[in-house]
Amino acid sequence: MGNASDTKEEKVLRRALILIIAVGIGLVMPHVLSPFYLMILSEALIMSIFALSFNLLFGYMGQLSFGQAAFYGLGGYAVAMLITKAHFNFWLSLLAGVLVAAIAGLIVGYFCVRLRGIYFAILTLAFGQLLFVIVYKWHDFTGGDDGIQGVFPPGILTSPKVYYYLIFLAFLGTTYLLWRIVNSPFGYVLKAMRDNPERTEFLGINISRYQLFAFVISAALSGLAGALWAPFYRSVAPFYLMWVKSGEPVMATILGGANTFLGPVVGTFVMTFVHAYVLGFTYFWPVIMGCFILLVIFFLPGGILGFALEKFSTSGRENSGYGRGRQGSSGDKKSD
Amino acid sequence: MSLDILFNQFMSGIARGALLFLVASGLSLTFGVLRVLNFAHGSLYMLGGFLCYTIWGHLLLPLFGFYIATILSALIMAASGLVIELFVLRRLYHRGWPEQLLATYALILIITDLVKWRWGGEFLSVPRPKPFTGAVFLFDFPFPAYNLFVIGLGVALAVFLWWLVYRTHLGDIIRAAAHDREMVAALGIPIPWLFTWIFVLGAFIAGLSGAVAAPFGAVALGMDIEIIVECFAVVVIGGMGSLPGTLLGSFIVGQVYSFGIMYKPELALAFIFMVMAVVLIIRPWGIFGRPER
Repeated sequence: MGNASDTKEEKVLRRALILIIAVGIGLVMPHVLSPFYLMILSEALIMSIFALSFNLLFGYMGQLSFGQAAFYGLGGYAVAMLITKAHFNFWLSLLAGVLVAAIAGLIVGYFCVRLRGIYFAILTLAFGQLLFVIVYKWHDFTGGDDGIQGVFPPGILTSPKVYYYLIFLAFLGTTYLLWRIVNSPFGYVLKAMRDNPERTEFLGINISRYQLFAFVISAALSGLAGALWAPFYRSVAPFYLMWVKSGEPVMATILGGANTFLGPVVGTFVMTFVHAYVLGFTYFWPVIMGCFILLVIFFLPGGILGFALEKFSTSGRENSGYGRGRQGSSGDKKSD
Repeated sequence: MSLDILFNQFMSGIARGALLFLVASGLSLTFGVLRVLNFAHGSLYMLGGFLCYTIWGHLLLPLFGFYIATILSALIMAASGLVIELFVLRRLYHRGWPEQLLATYALILIITDLVKWRWGGEFLSVPRPKPFTGAVFLFDFPFPAYNLFVIGLGVALAVFLWWLVYRTHLGDIIRAAAHDREMVAALGIPIPWLFTWIFVLGAFIAGLSGAVAAPFGAVALGMDIEIIVECFAVVVIGGMGSLPGTLLGSFIVGQVYSFGIMYKPELALAFIFMVMAVVLIIRPWGIFGRPER
């Protein structure tokens, strides 16, 4: 919803300017930041991919997946196992990681898209835990609770600075891809299903098929995040698939603002850097994080970015999505 | 495979089911009335276990120490439930369920950290209390007497909740509020206070079950997540908010776990999730649940 004085050209120009500045900052960062903070930034970018992929389902499709870490973890495990055990090509391993996550997403999604609201959340949680238990207990194949160590990227990518550029590129690519998706006809169908599933169905749209497609895209991109993380951190562990990990994109997204496109990125950056900062003086960061989440839920109902856009921007919200404007219009009114 | 081994597995499944019922009934009651899925229910349960350990250690009463510690833990958890309801949940009833879920998730982070700070990461144990220390013989088969105590308590709680929900005036209000909250409020019943007391009752049950679980296994960090995920399976299989459903769900999950462990120990949990997935796909609202509008 634009302001009256806000023409389309101005809007495009401003967006392009912000994009150029952001990319510029991203490109110079390895030369400015200390190795420690470059690592934190890389982590934040990977987790941003993860949170963005989660928000395709949550913010745009209106379904909360609490098993997203399973796809993240499977992507990481696929890369780790192909590199350490099969000595597979690095780039093909990344691709395989995405593919494995997508296939898992297809199978899990096939069952989950039949459900709505809190039942969707619980079934994704159950499938996620199921995959976690399999990885955790299948010691001969996955290494069980030992995880897999020594996942090295090849050649020049062993340098954190170079690997950062790979992550940055993947982040830009994912963001662009998702931006195109949510602004495509397909994206509008997703939003229509979120806001009024019955009417969307009356229009002749097969809800389950569309939701399954979105679920697979989301799983594949979560897998990409995991696949990038494993060689960056040089190891994988079963807890990457656990529900606690699944909670991270949920927290980041609601913190940043689920009804803004970049809200998950803002939330992830705040979370990752607060984490890194708090760990500097205390191990008890969860208690701080917990209080922080409660404060944001209480006082910034639209999330950090949602609040900021509402307060300071003339361009308003990108899409009137999940949140205050949505109650009463969607299928989960019953939970009010 | 002999019959007595099967009988033994069956009985230990019943005991596990009884413990699950203790925890899941509080979760289900809260969800049925408040429509809030309390992720932190398992954390209240864990805190109940730790409190029981500490109070029992201070009391030094060989005969009644455990029982007094159990009741005190449950009461302290009820008081914490009051604080949580008044200061956290009450602000969020008019918001969507994702925020409510995330708020209780934040409580998990806070409670886990407090437990880590106060008790550390060790495994603590409480010995079985006096008349239930040994084994009893059922059909010439030894069976821990404490398991019978847990089963008895589960049955007692089931009867109490049944009486509360189906035989009292408060129960009428609870069932009516679960069905149509606005109508009940329009009849002049203070819904916010009903919610508060139901949540307090749920927290009391969580603390009680955590204390009772202390001599059952060990008290340790992580027992919250372990139990809450199984409780989700219980309430989803039985039907969320349904008392008979929770009872049946506890029975099924207890048995699946017990026989799953016998068949393939590392996949016992996986079997539970498979049963849950099957139920969710065939009957998303659970065996005894009602489809939501």
